[in-house]
Amino acid sequence: MRTITLRPLASHLVPIEAEGLTPDGLAKLSIEEMEALDLWLGNRRTRLCELFAIEVDGKPAPIEETTVILDGDFSRVKRIGERMSGGMIQSLGDLGMHAGAGMSGGNILIKGSAGDWLGREMRGGSIEVEGDAGNYVGSGYRGERCGMRGGSILVRGNAGVFLGEHICGGSIHVSGNAGDYPGAANGGGTISIGGDTHLPGAEMTKGSISVGGRTTVLPGFQFQDEVELEGLTYQRYVGDLVENGKGELLLALAQQSA
Amino acid sequence: MIIKGGVVYDPANGVLGEEMDICIDAGAVAEAAGGPTIDARGMLVLPGGVDAHSHIAGPKLNAGRIMRPDDGRIGTEPRRGLCRPCTGYTVPNSSAIGYRYARMGYTTVFEAATPIIESRHTHEELEAIPILDKGALTLFGSNWTVMECVGEKDLPKLSAYVAWGLRASRGYGVKIVNPGGGEAWGFGSNVKGLHDPVPEFNVTPAEIIHELARANERLCLPHSIHLHFNNLGKPGNYSTAIETLDLLKDIVPSRDRQAVHVTHMQFSAYGGTGWRDFESKAPEIADYYNKNDHATMDMGQIIFGSATTMTADGPLEYANARLLHQKWSNHDIELEESSGVVPLVYIRGSPVNAVQWAIGLELALLTEDPWKVLLTTDNPNGGPFVKYPEVIALLMSHKRREEEMAKLPELLSKRSVIGSIERELGWGEIAVMTRAAPAHVLGLKEKGHLGVGADGDVSIYEIDPREVDPGSDPALVERAFTQAKYTIKAGEVVSRDGEIAGIPQGRTFWTDANVPEEDMARLMASLKEKFEKYYSIQMSNYMVQEAYLSRPVAVRAGVEVAQ
Ligand SMILES: [Zn+2]
Repeated sequence: MRTITLRPLASHLVPIEAEGLTPDGLAKLSIEEMEALDLWLGNRRTRLCELFAIEVDGKPAPIEETTVILDGDFSRVKRIGERMSGGMIQSLGDLGMHAGAGMSGGNILIKGSAGDWLGREMRGGSIEVEGDAGNYVGSGYRGERCGMRGGSILVRGNAGVFLGEHICGGSIHVSGNAGDYPGAANGGGTISIGGDTHLPGAEMTKGSISVGGRTTVLPGFQFQDEVELEGLTYQRYVGDLVENGKGELLLALAQQSA
Repeated sequence: MIIKGGVVYDPANGVLGEEMDICIDAGAVAEAAGGPTIDARGMLVLPGGVDAHSHIAGPKLNAGRIMRPDDGRIGTEPRRGLCRPCTGYTVPNSSAIGYRYARMGYTTVFEAATPIIESRHTHEELEAIPILDKGALTLFGSNWTVMECVGEKDLPKLSAYVAWGLRASRGYGVKIVNPGGGEAWGFGSNVKGLHDPVPEFNVTPAEIIHELARANERLCLPHSIHLHFNNLGKPGNYSTAIETLDLLKDIVPSRDRQAVHVTHMQFSAYGGTGWRDFESKAPEIADYYNKNDHATMDMGQIIFGSATTMTADGPLEYANARLLHQKWSNHDIELEESSGVVPLVYIRGSPVNAVQWAIGLELALLTEDPWKVLLTTDNPNGGPFVKYPEVIALLMSHKRREEEMAKLPELLSKRSVIGSIERELGWGEIAVMTRAAPAHVLGLKEKGHLGVGADGDVSIYEIDPREVDPGSDPALVERAFTQAKYTIKAGEVVSRDGEIAGIPQGRTFWTDANVPEEDMARLMASLKEKFEKYYSIQMSNYMVQEAYLSRPVAVRAGVEVAQ
């Protein structure tokens, strides 16, 4: 086992681009090599040791046995865990945008809240957020036709707008509320929202979206039947018929009376 | 500058693999020169690459960039050395276009389609492309004034309009895209064949093509008409191709060149009645070219992977968007054209894409004379220009083709003959298809060769053609052509080992054609009315001013030149 702990030396308003901060990138490095890693502070190239205190416990280890602990406010640090394939990242506070983008394996645990684009285009592994998550969780970045393809994202708080836009596979669960247009253009992923949301499943063609709280149904969805799932009754719709979609929209009945 | 001891291929001057020195003085090839010496011993030396058909500037490029932020991210390169930041793969930013062509050893690239009304934008973008010499071909095929002149059978007035349109757009030559189809698309339809009349205009595509070809030769333009056939991209369209070529047999070229250049022939060499029985008709097309000498073509090779299609063929792009469930940009260009942009991916597993891939190569390999076939991908319609080295390797190596075919659907062997073609192109033939022939087809006398007086554009590749057998070592060929050891533009090293070493501003070629005053006067009367009644801008704001071209080169042409 190897544990690498990073603590910010100062707080920055300018965002930091830190796509190298992954178990993949750090597992095999000596502490000197880590210190010299390139990072961008805004448009200025800098080194890891100039922004963070690095504490390493254990010798170089396989990726799967490497844990990166982020101790402090990382809300302005972007792209942490990008393309990681294994191991663990634990953020004790908030984490910035694009965390876990394109990751294919391993786990990210965020004790605070996550920024926008959490787990965008991820292919595998899991992300858990104890607080809230921003907009576009598990979606495709601008212009991308396929967002998250595999793995799972759990958000215990609320999520922002366009949750899982263009999702093609994998699953997202939000315990709280989600913003407008969750699962837009869903092409085969599973999204469940415990609380309220607005206009789910626009242009979805495949996959499923379930909503435990209140919501509004787009006119492109057709009511099918009522189904029992885990002790709750859901109204089942199919859509979005605008796209000849065969996606499934499940609305918990108890909440829909209003 | 003296380039010493390289193995030179300069097919336009009959030089095929001779060890010799090339001298460049005052930007041009000379008998002798001083200045720095480049040691090119053991290296391949060619004239700078010339691309006669590529989409590198104008509103359709921007439409592609705007609708494909995903593409922008693929080719991101930060600012470095002399280079500005780069983005994009199939639709790169203007800087990247210049650097990437230069790194491959290309020094001259022509934008293949600009509507007159949008040419100001096209030139602004061309000006922003570093290093390269450029030109733009002007669209005439669905233009109201053109169709009126053709309907009135008034060749002098049509010639006057072509001359005026080239001046207004600072364009180099006459581009014709799906003639009549762009206008028909304004009514939601298309022209279905050469003799299908254009709605509201009593003319057919055949008449538009033939009369524009006559006007082109009456004006003695440096380039022939540059034609994108009707029915392009449709199964069975090879018969339209041959019918159109037959139509132009009576055109007498006014200069020493072809009567018609057919662009991206791959998209027009299709057999079958639909996509299910889709097959290659490249052998029929190549056979026609082997028996006739009035036409040239460029390949329009497809590259597996991402592409962005962009064309003035509006109805074609609608069909693409529907067939592929893709994003679609559609554009109506007033009295001149329609156009569209659709991103797509060519997939090895798709039998249709596999056959398209085979057709491009078959055209180049089955046409005996390499002077008749230019190497292009119709960038970025068939794939981005940075993949030219891959096409070169495929043409030079049967083994490389077999490796690729092993990854393609078996159906390919029934729908094409690519597997049975043994021919492997040599260094000289590649030099023709990427240098000498495109320059000759365009009528650029100082390009594509290394004779005394030619532009001092040279590319030097770190590969010894006397030692490497391209047939068995295609990877070496591909690597060498991907990154020139040196690219020299007008006697200045602009790229060395992939590093941009100089960023001169290139020149822009346009054609200044004279016509008799009375023809121009008659034209102006009818043009004035169009601007008053229909155009969204005034005639006084229409023409691209001289100031838009920082280094213009006006090629003289016109009725007097012809006489
Ligand atoms: Zn083209």
